[in-house]
Formats: sequence, structure tokens, C-alpha cells
Amino acid sequence: MTAIDYLQFVLAPQVVNGLALGVAVVLVALGLTIIFGMLDVINMSHGEFYAIGAYAALALGAAGIGFWFLLVLVPVLMVPLGMAAERLLIRPVFDTKDRHVTTLLVTFGLGLIVEDVLKIIFGANTQRPPTPIPGATEILGIILPNYRLFLILVGAAIVLAVAYVVYKTRLGAMVRAAAFDRNMAASLGVPVSLVYAGTFAFGVGLAGLAGVLLAPIYSVFPTMGRDFILLAFTVVIVGGMGSIWGAVVAGLLLTQVQALASLVISPVWTDPIVFGTMVAFLVFRPQGLFGRLGHA
Amino acid sequence: MHDRLTQSMRASHLLAAFFVLAALGLAATGAATGDSFYLRLGTEALIFAGLALSVDLLLGYSGALSLGQALYFGVGAYVSALTLMKVPSFWLAMGAAFAASLVTAIIGGLIANRVRGVYFALITFGLAQVMAKVVYNTRELGASDGMIGIPVVEIGFGPVSVSAGSPAGFFLIVLAIIMGLYALTAYLVDTPFGRVLTALKANERRVPFLGYSVWRARMAAYVLAGVIAGLSGALYPMLRGFVSPELMFFATSGNAVISVVLGGVGTLIGAIYGAVLLVVLKSIIGSWTEHHLIVIGLLFMLCVMFLPKGLAGLVRPRIAALLERRKQGPRAGAAPADLGSVAVKPGSTS
Repeated sequence: MTAIDYLQFVLAPQVVNGLALGVAVVLVALGLTIIFGMLDVINMSHGEFYAIGAYAALALGAAGIGFWFLLVLVPVLMVPLGMAAERLLIRPVFDTKDRHVTTLLVTFGLGLIVEDVLKIIFGANTQRPPTPIPGATEILGIILPNYRLFLILVGAAIVLAVAYVVYKTRLGAMVRAAAFDRNMAASLGVPVSLVYAGTFAFGVGLAGLAGVLLAPIYSVFPTMGRDFILLAFTVVIVGGMGSIWGAVVAGLLLTQVQALASLVISPVWTDPIVFGTMVAFLVFRPQGLFGRLGHA
Repeated sequence: MHDRLTQSMRASHLLAAFFVLAALGLAATGAATGDSFYLRLGTEALIFAGLALSVDLLLGYSGALSLGQALYFGVGAYVSALTLMKVPSFWLAMGAAFAASLVTAIIGGLIANRVRGVYFALITFGLAQVMAKVVYNTRELGASDGMIGIPVVEIGFGPVSVSAGSPAGFFLIVLAIIMGLYALTAYLVDTPFGRVLTALKANERRVPFLGYSVWRARMAAYVLAGVIAGLSGALYPMLRGFVSPELMFFATSGNAVISVVLGGVGTLIGAIYGAVLLVVLKSIIGSWTEHHLIVIGLLFMLCVMFLPKGLAGLVRPRIAALLERRKQGPRAGAAPADLGSVAVKPGSTS
């Protein structure tokens, strides 16, 4: 095999596959890092909300609702769920002394319950919705599945839109103000408790959206949240907890490590390599790429 | 008059004594009826109680939540299994597990103790994940199937010996080891070292001003917890005759955290009760539905939200008050609060 062939048939497709996985991980990690950055809450049930989104897409899709409508419908349906979770579970423990640990534990419990409920409703089997965009495109002689290309574009658009809302709009400024100093924001007229509930619900909605987008590629099964959330947490830690750009950079970096490593060694070793990279990274930069150490 | 920490530890000891009595009762009943199922289940509960104890030492005393304590449990179990397959000696296996978990915990501690809070929780989680995947992928360690056929050992104490295959005998040995680990931990948290840990949990920034090294105390607690988990894990292959990568997975670490929260964070004995309760709950609920996670998750969430000191938090202050009243006569004033309120409000000295 010549070098050009290797590039065209092995390396480039692998890089694009890695990119698609990277975008997927960033989508899941985005909600996680927003909930942490704005609310200072670790949402261990984020993976289960992602699973709920995927199952909702599967069920509603089977009921005849089109994929394009689901992209809007499922995140909207997730919002009241997120609001309820915030009000019933997060708010009662929000002011405890050790908020990080308490919210982590509460959401961990929630995750256990959701996983079992999904198992009861949908069964333990793996299912996969049909690909909404079939076929493949040839770019520079590299054959790429259309849906993966679509995922990369949509994922990038979502990340940019979220970053725009958080950093450039008045709403985003209110959310950041409430995160920075709750009392000051409240006295300036920001409806703080609504902002908190809304931010949590927004993060949950993003998890649901990720579920809709990723279900056709990565299948749907009750423990899917647990499998994906490991990588998402790794991305959030390496990127620096609470940083949107950190999650993006770390997500793309780590999934490239994973994609390229699987060319050299057996794919079963890619997970230890990714987590090992995380550990090695944190030995030298404990606060992550864009994190502030005093924050957590 | 003793301070509150000593007082509540005494209440813990009373609960521990009750636990041992109940366990001896089970052993006697089990031996009399020739039962092996409940005795083996009880032994497994005790082994996981050791893991919960190590999580509680970290979470309840230094305030560090470890989501990967199963790492050391698994190291202990695998090293013990490997040793037993070469040389079937109980003491050698325990010694090897001790050494291996000590070394691993020092390395893990050097990495994990560079950070605190959420980062600590997630790094311990990541470390365990790396190790579990490495074991899962290593064919020499049986890969995903684990290792089976670990020989049944004779546990010799000088002239007498007990077989690990004897349900009641091995139950008693595990009980002695786990309660020994409890006693050691309870003793250590009552020494100046333990007070530094408690101070860490209350306010880490003030500790250096008192002249103590935060890093050294955290490291000591981490290594101690790792060794406790490793020694508990070393008992597992002797009981079940096999080890599998599941012992290192997050579910195992998560169960230990659930046990600690159910039983009572920062009470040590609560962790042991919690682990037993979890095993009992799982087998009871498991007998009528396979979806036990819903019940356990719900119970766990309710505990975190409404019972932050767990079940021991309900019982222990009453016992402590009772102990105090008996010593001082009926004139003794307000019931002593539990340890947690001391940690939360360093200012209140009444």
C-alpha cells in the first residue's frame, strides 16, 4: 500500500470518524459543562438524560414523527423533565455545605433509577433507529457516510449557537451573573431561581438533543448513558470543568487520540489510552486546559 | 469529660459490639443448621463492608469522595488470586495483597491528591476505569472472563487451621478481619492524625495555619483507605473461588458509596451496617423483581436529601446521649450532637 493509499483509505476516514465521535462527545459534554459552570452542580445523571432523549426519538420515530421534527420536539419535551429534576432534587440540597458531593450523589441515585425505568419500559435489548440520511459522499477520493458529515456540521452549529447565547446575549449575561453572584443578580432583578432551573433544563435538553442525533449511529440501550458519560466526563475534566471551549478542544483532541490509536494497536486498548491520557494530562495540569483550579 | 468525637466513637463501638453479636448469632445458627448460602452471602456482605469502610474513611473524615475505590479492592483480589494459584497460603496472599495495594495506593494518591473536590472524585473514577480496562483486556489475567479455579486455602493459626471452604469458619475469620480493620480505623481517627483529617473536612485552608501538612494527612488517609480496600478485596477470591473485572468496575465503587450514604457518612460503623443492608436489600428485592436499582436508587436519594447522616445518624446520637447520661447522672445537660455538627460549625462549643 502506498502512502497516498494509506492516507486516502485508512488515515483520512479514521480522522473523520474520530471527528464525528468527537462532535458526539462534545454534544454530550456541553450540557454537562454548562450545568457545572453555571450552577456549580455535577450532574451524574446526564448520561441517563441522553439515554431518555435517544429512547424518546426511537419511540416517537416509530410512532411516525419525522427525524427533523424530533430534533426540535425531543429537546423541548426534555425541558419540563429538567425543570422538575432541578426543583425536586437539586434545589433542596443546593445550599448544603458540600454542594458538589451532595448533588453528585443525588444525581447518581437518579441515574440508577432512570436506567432501570428505561429497562422496564423498553426492554434490555439494543435497538437502532433507521439512518435519516442514507448514502455516502466521496470527497477527494475519501468515502464518507452522509450522516456522519451531517452530524459534524450540526454539532458545530449547536456548539456555536450555545456559545453565542451564553457569551453574547443578554440572557446569557443574566445566567452568568446569577452564577457569579446569586444575591447581587437577584437584587438587580434577575429571577435567579428561574434562571437556575432554566439552565439545568437547558443542559438536560442538550443531552436529549444529543440522544436524538447519536441514536442512529451508536444504537440505543438502557446503559448507553453510562458508557458515553465516562468519555464526556473525561472531556469535561481535561477541558477544565465549566469551560465550553475546553470541552470542545478536549473532546476533539481525545477522540482523535482514540481514533488514531486504534490504527496502531487493538481497538480494545483505546479506552485505557484515552483515560490514561486524561490521568497523565491532569498530573501536569490538574485544573484542565481552560479551567481555574480555585473554582471546584 | 470527653469531646464529642470520642463520645460518638464510643456510641459507634457499642453499635459495633452489637453487630459482632448479631454476626456470631448468624454464624451459630448457620453452623447448627448446616446452612451455607446465608453464611456465604453474609461473608460477601462483610467483604464489601471493608470496601465501604475505606470509602467512609475518605469521605467521612477527610471529605474526599472517591468514585474509584474498587480499584484497590480489585488489586487486592487479583493479587490474592494470583498468589493463591501459585502458593496456596492465606498469609502469603494477604501479605501480597497488602503490599500491592500499598504500592498502588501510593501511586494513585500521588496522582489523585494533586487535586481536590470534584476533580478528586472524577480522577479516582478515571484511575479505576483505566485499571479496570487494563485488567479487562489482559489475557493473562483471564480478560473479561476473570480467573476461576482459585484453590480453597487452609488458614493456619499456629497449631489450628480453618478451611476457607467451611462456611461458618471462614465467616468468622472474615468477621474478625473486617472488625479488626474497623477497630484500627476507629482508633486512628481518634488520634491526633484523625483530628487533622476532621479539620481538613471542616476547613482545609485553616489546617496549614495550625502547623499540619494538608498533603501528608490526605495522603496518609488515601493510602490507608487503599490498603483497607485491598485487604478486603484479598478475601473475595477465597470466598468465591474466582475474580472478575467487575470487581473493579464503577458499579462496585458506586455500591460502596451507596452503602456509606445509607449507613451514615463519617460514622465508620454505619458503612459496615450500610454494606450489609445493601446486600440484604438486593437479595430481598431481587427475589420479587429484577429491577432492584429503582428501590435502591430511591432509598439512596432520600438518604442523601433527608438523612445526611444515614441510619447511624438516627441511632448514634441517642446512644451517645445515653452513654453520657449514665456516666454523669441525670443532671447532664443537652444531648451531645453528632460529629457532623462539630465539623460544620467549628464555632459552637457548647
